[in-house]
Amino acid sequence: MVIPQARNLHLSRMNLVRLKGLPILQQLHIEEKLLRASSENWCIMNDGTNDPTIVMGVSGKPAELLEIESVLRDQVPVIRRFTGGGTVIVDQSTVFVTFICGKDAVPGLQLYPRSIMSWSSLLYNKVFQGTGDFHLRENDYVFGSQKFGGNAQSITKNRWIHHTSFLWDYKVRNMAYLKNPKRAPEYRLARGHLDFICRLKDYMPRTIFVDKTVEAAGTEFSLRPIRLEEIETHYESEYRPSTSLLTEQELKSDIASEQELKSDIASEQELKAATASL
Amino acid sequence: MMIGRLIFQRRSLTSVCRYLSQCTPLASSPPPPAVKPEPLFLGFSPFSTISFQRHNSSFSFNIPGAVDRRCFSSQAVAEIPTGGIVDVPLAQTGEGIAECELLKWFVSEGDEVEEFQPLCEVQSDKATIEITSRYKGKVAQILYVPGDIVKVGETLLKMVVQESQVPTMTSNNSAGISMRSEDSKMNKDSTGGGLSTPAVRNLAKQYGVSISEIQGSGKDGRVLKEDVLKYAVQKGIVKDASNTTSSSVEEQFQGEESHPYLSAEAPGHYDDVKIPLRGFQRTMVKTMSMAAKVPHFHYVEEINCDSLVGLKTSFQTNNTEPGVKYTFLPLLIKALSMALSKYPMINSCFNEESLEVVLKGSHNIGIAMATPYGLVVPNIKNVQSLSIFEITKELSRLQQLALDNKLSPVDISGGTISLSNIGAIGGKYGAPIINLPEVAIIAIGRIQKVPQFDDEGNVYPVSIMTVNIGADHRVLDGATVARFCNEWKQFIEKPELLMLHMK
Repeated sequence: MVIPQARNLHLSRMNLVRLKGLPILQQLHIEEKLLRASSENWCIMNDGTNDPTIVMGVSGKPAELLEIESVLRDQVPVIRRFTGGGTVIVDQSTVFVTFICGKDAVPGLQLYPRSIMSWSSLLYNKVFQGTGDFHLRENDYVFGSQKFGGNAQSITKNRWIHHTSFLWDYKVRNMAYLKNPKRAPEYRLARGHLDFICRLKDYMPRTIFVDKTVEAAGTEFSLRPIRLEEIETHYESEYRPSTSLLTEQELKSDIASEQELKSDIASEQELKAATASL
Repeated sequence: MMIGRLIFQRRSLTSVCRYLSQCTPLASSPPPPAVKPEPLFLGFSPFSTISFQRHNSSFSFNIPGAVDRRCFSSQAVAEIPTGGIVDVPLAQTGEGIAECELLKWFVSEGDEVEEFQPLCEVQSDKATIEITSRYKGKVAQILYVPGDIVKVGETLLKMVVQESQVPTMTSNNSAGISMRSEDSKMNKDSTGGGLSTPAVRNLAKQYGVSISEIQGSGKDGRVLKEDVLKYAVQKGIVKDASNTTSSSVEEQFQGEESHPYLSAEAPGHYDDVKIPLRGFQRTMVKTMSMAAKVPHFHYVEEINCDSLVGLKTSFQTNNTEPGVKYTFLPLLIKALSMALSKYPMINSCFNEESLEVVLKGSHNIGIAMATPYGLVVPNIKNVQSLSIFEITKELSRLQQLALDNKLSPVDISGGTISLSNIGAIGGKYGAPIINLPEVAIIAIGRIQKVPQFDDEGNVYPVSIMTVNIGADHRVLDGATVARFCNEWKQFIEKPELLMLHMK
């Protein structure tokens, strides 16, 4: 029993926050605050959020990525987060795991997207070892060729965040709010959502997944449980997060500008055709 | 006349100047994009650049574009006006990333900037990255606006810097600076730069993979042995990457390799065969010796499994999950957990020294498995919180790992009670020995169809399973075990009662 404790002396300390059902906007605000205002290492786990919510990457354009009419009709909240990456629709069946670290938290890790992505896949290898042909494919976690976990990162001068949303389960009808993205990984091969993704619940019980992830993190860091309330009191900074909920106005104006753009392109093409025929 | 001559001379001077400027047009205007000078080398001669590279032994000669552009570096040097305006490019931000979207600027034209101060934020694929300044200076001109796509290597902005500034290269680079090239072209040109040891390169060669394609996770991007193995697994070259982890499981067993059971046949000879006991077998010697010191008692009972058989058939018939095999064991395990909730003493650990019994909160039910490597007892954690379906899945996962000899230390530790399904192989029942530090173990015999008499004296067939509960008599008495067994038996014979307690 002495040996594991002795090992802990050489591991960086990491605060572990275990949440359940926290609204995703609140989670993202906390993460952004911890990335920018804290100097400690953090692991946030949110076992499901509350209502179905669409979360886009920092430069996501709603008109390109979403079926806006359906989104507006069904009043699905749309958030633009502070990290890069693609669009997801999350709900109670999504499990979130986030690592926020200082540059020295993982010895020898270079602060580049690929390096951090590779490091994360080694950690999750420990979780999924022996299960369903798990590996990192381009930037996604897959079983075989089907994605069940999507990643996004933000890298600053001295810190980085890598967060993942795991598709424990999903509702087919929710996927209908998302368009097929223009920028897609090569291995997707033009598959629609339902052929491209799979459910983690078909591979591992939920509690076991969560426990094994904590355990895997514990092999790399010395974990210290922290309650949500402690973060909220300690980091009451004036920092304003950039993650935000898009208003109906913003979504509607995005359709308008997209339509304008389309009609501009159409007229240009007409003009080209007309001049070509001359 | 003289004036005319003077004028003529002046004109010729001007025309000479013009001629010169036309001859060296590149000296006065920025070079075309394809020939962007590598600003790292601005202010330095090619020789000093090379020597600078050598000082940083962790960096190889794989500088993005440097080799290509080295022939132009002198030209770049010639271009620097004495004011010291440098072009700050979008440097490499990761392997294979060719372009980024500019998200926002943190500085404006005219701002004074410190070394390592964030200049802007860009996005590539999944990451937003802060680009920091290499120099202390002043922002002269910003060349892109948010929303623009910038190719790696293109100039983002121009800065006025002191000529005497030495760009410091720290090995732990901020995101904007990368001396380490991930340009695959450059890696292929390099002849074994400082990115991996000879042993690792040898290993890559064995697997037939190119070291340049592998992302290094070591210091300064070094490619390590694990990186090569992982890459080889991804490429399907190696069947499983867990040779390393199975060896770590072996280390749990005093670092010896485990050998499969040797069969007793010696082809054609009748000599003695010596089998050194290793791995799981060696552990078995130790654990059984300790367990033999525990005073056991055994309690035997017969359980009617007609309902169990019916339930299993129902699961199989209504099976919506391909690849999932339904057996009796998950049902027995869940029923066991239900009974343990009522008799927590059975799910406990005994500490001899302090004479304390710890009633364990979780039901971590161990399942004895006979593998080619020996007897192993992995356990399913927190059965009290799992559904029968989840137990089925987890059992299958552990069985597969056991057969492949890839169980982790966590899988085989932390158990609170064990089940031995010896009936799967054969036998009416066994007299099992406790798996310390648990206090009970249950051996399950084969389900057999036997004749029974009803009240009228008629014979009818019934499926009977015989079980033998081995218990630590220091902690448990016969009555407790008997009552516990009755509870468990009831759940098996009337599985609908499980629903009564379902949460």
